[in-house]
Amino acid sequence: MKKQLRHALNAGITFGIITVFLFLIGFTSIAADLLGDLLRNKNGGLFLGLTPQMLNMLIFLGLVGLGAGAYGSRKIKGQAGDPWGPALIGGLTAGLVHALFVGSLALLVGTLNLRGVQISKYLAEVLPASIRLFLLGKDPLPGAVIHLILLTLAGLAGGLLSRGIGRGSWRARSAANRKNTWNRFTQRSFFKQVRGNRATRFVVYGILLLLVFLVPLGAGQYWNYTIGTVGIYILLGLGLNIVVGLAGLLDLGYVAFFAIGAYTMALLTAPTPHHLLWNFWIVLPIGVIIAAITGLLLGAPVLRMRGDYLAIVTLGFGEIIRILSKSDALTPFNNGPKGVPSIGGPTLFGRLFNTGPAFVYLIFLAVLLVIFVTNRLQNSRVGRAWEAMREDETVSRAMGINTLSQKLLAFAIGAAFAGLGGALFASRNQFTGPEDFNLMVSINVVAVVIVGGMGSIPGVIAGALVLKGLPEVLRQLQDYRVLVFAALLVVMMLWRPAGIIPSARRKMEVEKDAGVVETPEEGRGK
Amino acid sequence: MTIALETRSLTKQFGGLTAVDSVDLVIQENSIFSVIGPNGAGKTTFYNCITGFYEPEAGEILFYGKSLVGLTPDQVAYRGISRTYQNIRLFANMSAIENILIGEHSRLRANWAGAILRTPGVMKEEGAAVEKARQLLNFVGLVGLGDQLGRNLPYGAQRRLEIARALGSQPRLLLLDEPTAGMNPHETTEMMHFIRRLRDELGITILLIEHDMRVVMGISEQIAVLDYGAKIAEGTPAEIQGNPRVIEAYLGSGAASGLNNTTSQPA
Repeated sequence: MKKQLRHALNAGITFGIITVFLFLIGFTSIAADLLGDLLRNKNGGLFLGLTPQMLNMLIFLGLVGLGAGAYGSRKIKGQAGDPWGPALIGGLTAGLVHALFVGSLALLVGTLNLRGVQISKYLAEVLPASIRLFLLGKDPLPGAVIHLILLTLAGLAGGLLSRGIGRGSWRARSAANRKNTWNRFTQRSFFKQVRGNRATRFVVYGILLLLVFLVPLGAGQYWNYTIGTVGIYILLGLGLNIVVGLAGLLDLGYVAFFAIGAYTMALLTAPTPHHLLWNFWIVLPIGVIIAAITGLLLGAPVLRMRGDYLAIVTLGFGEIIRILSKSDALTPFNNGPKGVPSIGGPTLFGRLFNTGPAFVYLIFLAVLLVIFVTNRLQNSRVGRAWEAMREDETVSRAMGINTLSQKLLAFAIGAAFAGLGGALFASRNQFTGPEDFNLMVSINVVAVVIVGGMGSIPGVIAGALVLKGLPEVLRQLQDYRVLVFAALLVVMMLWRPAGIIPSARRKMEVEKDAGVVETPEEGRGK
Repeated sequence: MTIALETRSLTKQFGGLTAVDSVDLVIQENSIFSVIGPNGAGKTTFYNCITGFYEPEAGEILFYGKSLVGLTPDQVAYRGISRTYQNIRLFANMSAIENILIGEHSRLRANWAGAILRTPGVMKEEGAAVEKARQLLNFVGLVGLGDQLGRNLPYGAQRRLEIARALGSQPRLLLLDEPTAGMNPHETTEMMHFIRRLRDELGITILLIEHDMRVVMGISEQIAVLDYGAKIAEGTPAEIQGNPRVIEAYLGSGAASGLNNTTSQPA
């Protein structure tokens, strides 16, 4: 019991600190606004003398309080015959501790504010307005008491709720039910046919694709830009996925190849500085090839290194490319820090397009091509060799894999994808310059691969959607993007260490639809 | 009889330490040859020289008459030498079948362009490779475990899979590094039978590092003893058992003089 109480106490303290922190960085007001958007009650009237914004903030704090209670009672196992008592105590303890933190905070900032201390001088986000919101427009003491009572109750409710959901027998029963229903569903001949039959599978994929292709038509210019950015990050992610996810080479300078692709497109199609004005469709493959060759050239000297050393050297290469691109020496060649404007776009049937849905479709096609190539490579002798190198380089050499040439191949193909992404990026933006290629791009792409799931194509797509798409959806979080980003990474590493959609292994021993299920017993005793 | 592997005054030094000291060995084709010696005697270094991970300072390694010195590990594997490791080193996050397919790597030709285009040749080769992997899985007695990840297999199965992976490259010479380490007597006996099968059914020459004297004396046709990098004895199991220098190396000089006239087993 003592141990369980201590757990509840710790949960309360943790959540208390989190809530205080969120208030101090001004997140409580932002969360209230977000909830307002979500519940569409921003312009509602007063309720119990509270504005909608205050209500929303209370709802947000209440949710955190629920979390505190649920977490605090999590480890408490009920004795037989008394399943609710311990949950009650755990939730109440955690809720009370959490409430004490928040109540004291309200009392403190409220009093300071009343005395005319300008807290925002020290903590930029703690403005008088947000303090008034936090205290629900009341004096410090009543405001603090309201928080104390509400959050204690929220903790209690959280404890009871988690107990209700977590009741062992109920959970097991429902899980078994779900499994049964699922099995019955999958055993049905129709479903089996859909899964087993190639043609039907393609039809399902086709419908999904069609739905995706319909999106740009309905989306406005802003959203099409965002979708295009996500698409380009999928390209980059899939390319780096080959280098990091499959071959296990940590490349932190991946942006270099992106820059090569973008500059190739820029210099060959833009009126300045060279006035070459080549056709987009010719330049696109040239950009890919030049990026791949750069990959080989950069790779040859550095790929003998392993692990951390490789990461540091590639990091340096990425920066070298960026700094070179804005150096004085190269300014006549590439406009230096000013960047290259008016980059050409693709033409089709004599029509130029570099904005709108048409360009998004072009990016989609590039993504499809890259998915196709990645998938084929991954399930081949080459892909296997890459994965073997990732697992154990020494042994893979002993198994006859020429690790240097396989690494170079992975590097070159990864670079080619980045070059494709870069060329499309430059053409879409119609401008490119050194600042497009800072270190954050490399880090973002690494994050896309790791958060999505190393070595997994659907994982990379999910990672790009989450890391590049979600921040746009949560636009109001803008200032807190880095915070959310970090929190997401921490949560990810705790709950899904292998990524959102980890890579799955193909079944190879018994072919699908073979109808023969061999058991381990048959193979024994030989 | 043909000589499978021959080393001539093979020497490997690390700074001032001579880990392998002018070792001469002749291993006949289709034989089971053991290398024994106390810990640190240079056995694994000897393996690493043969497989191309270390370049010897002096001496020659001949595999069916051709020199292996200066070749990279993958070239050595291509010539037909395969190995297993003392502490099992499977590709832990790949399935058993994939592990064997990696073993077959040096026998397959598909390159990146072929893999992307899936030419008929590549598809045929891949199909045959998977079929062969299934057969090897069957041969080592792991039917049904092919889709398990390497790290999820039980210990004995991991040892067998490691051998299956080594067999994937169709080796003519197989280097086993303590294949029965960590096994109970029953499993050890099974492994002994299995090693014999490798030689009898597949015609592979076996070079064995082993500490378990029951295994060494039970299946070896020829034994070499290393101590401080140098070969101190070579012969049939019976000859080695009676050799005073071997007993000295294992048990110290006092024991050697006391046991001089007996034929009791060392270690």
